[in-house]
Amino acid sequence: MINEMLVQFAEWLYATGGSRAIEESFYLYNWIETTHVLTIMVCLGMLAFIDLRMLGYALPNVSASTIADRLNVPMMIGFALMFITGLLLFYAKPVYTNQSIWFRIKMVLLVVAFFNAIRFHRHMKASASTWCNEPRAPFNLRVSAALSLGLWAGVVTTGRLIAYDWYHCYRDLPGWLSAAAGCVAE
Amino acid sequence: MELLPFFEWAETTFLGYIGKTYGGVYATFGQSLHLMALAVLGGSVLVADLRLLNVIMKDVPSEIVTEQAHKWFRIALVVIICTGVFMAAAVAQRMYHNDFFWAKMSALLVGIIFVFAIKRPLLKGSHADLNPIVIKMVASASILVWFSVAATGRWIGFSG
Repeated sequence: MINEMLVQFAEWLYATGGSRAIEESFYLYNWIETTHVLTIMVCLGMLAFIDLRMLGYALPNVSASTIADRLNVPMMIGFALMFITGLLLFYAKPVYTNQSIWFRIKMVLLVVAFFNAIRFHRHMKASASTWCNEPRAPFNLRVSAALSLGLWAGVVTTGRLIAYDWYHCYRDLPGWLSAAAGCVAE
Repeated sequence: MELLPFFEWAETTFLGYIGKTYGGVYATFGQSLHLMALAVLGGSVLVADLRLLNVIMKDVPSEIVTEQAHKWFRIALVVIICTGVFMAAAVAQRMYHNDFFWAKMSALLVGIIFVFAIKRPLLKGSHADLNPIVIKMVASASILVWFSVAATGRWIGFSG
């Protein structure tokens, strides 16, 4: 039921002029994708430094809360641009992307990363004054930081794999994979 | 010097064989790892250069920030080169005829020379002894060079 609705929505998006204009423009589509990659450098680059600081591997002699506070703004700017360009890339190829198992896994990982970030910030705010000058964060924050790095590595990997159609609906897929990829009967 | 024979040979090596035969290995250990290392490299460049430009972490000495960022820059650069060699080996002959591949290699070479021959020696001592305009020019050039490396790298996939 949900898969049928998502396919209908994707087909409606695909029929709009904007979607066609982006996909059919060699330069527009490729520049949006290039910008998406460049914003990965900004957003995930900053995020990596925050997480590595918590783990004690980067800038251990600088207060952890200073690092998190100062890098948060450029990280969020990068995230906003990454999100917008990501939406435009989906908008350009909604039918293909909606039925990509990699895209679906990426979305799940993004949601988990979001909740992990909320948990991380909540714990950090509550306890930073007691440890922020220590070279390593307390255990629960280190777990969140390691999880964050792992989840974003997964987001990057699945994002890259969207380009590959090994498990797309026009392939011969087992039932569970077909349902997970959002395939519907013609 | 004719480089085509080298690229033809690269495709016949073990790395070229693995990359060409196993798409999943190529995509995950090549492309994805390359992108993750690019993110860390981008982070290290931006953390150091935005500090030198006085945009972020103004309350932390720039010497500490640039030194620590450089440590991660080196690690990311090694991973980028290793995964890049792996990816290029699988499609070496196509790379040889791809203009953006050569643009990226040129930008990468300029970036490496810039960092190890200009930026690092310049920033080794106290930054207070340096002309602030020079520091800002070096930081701006660094961001420009490394973002050019990333952009030209992405365009390899769009051409040829």
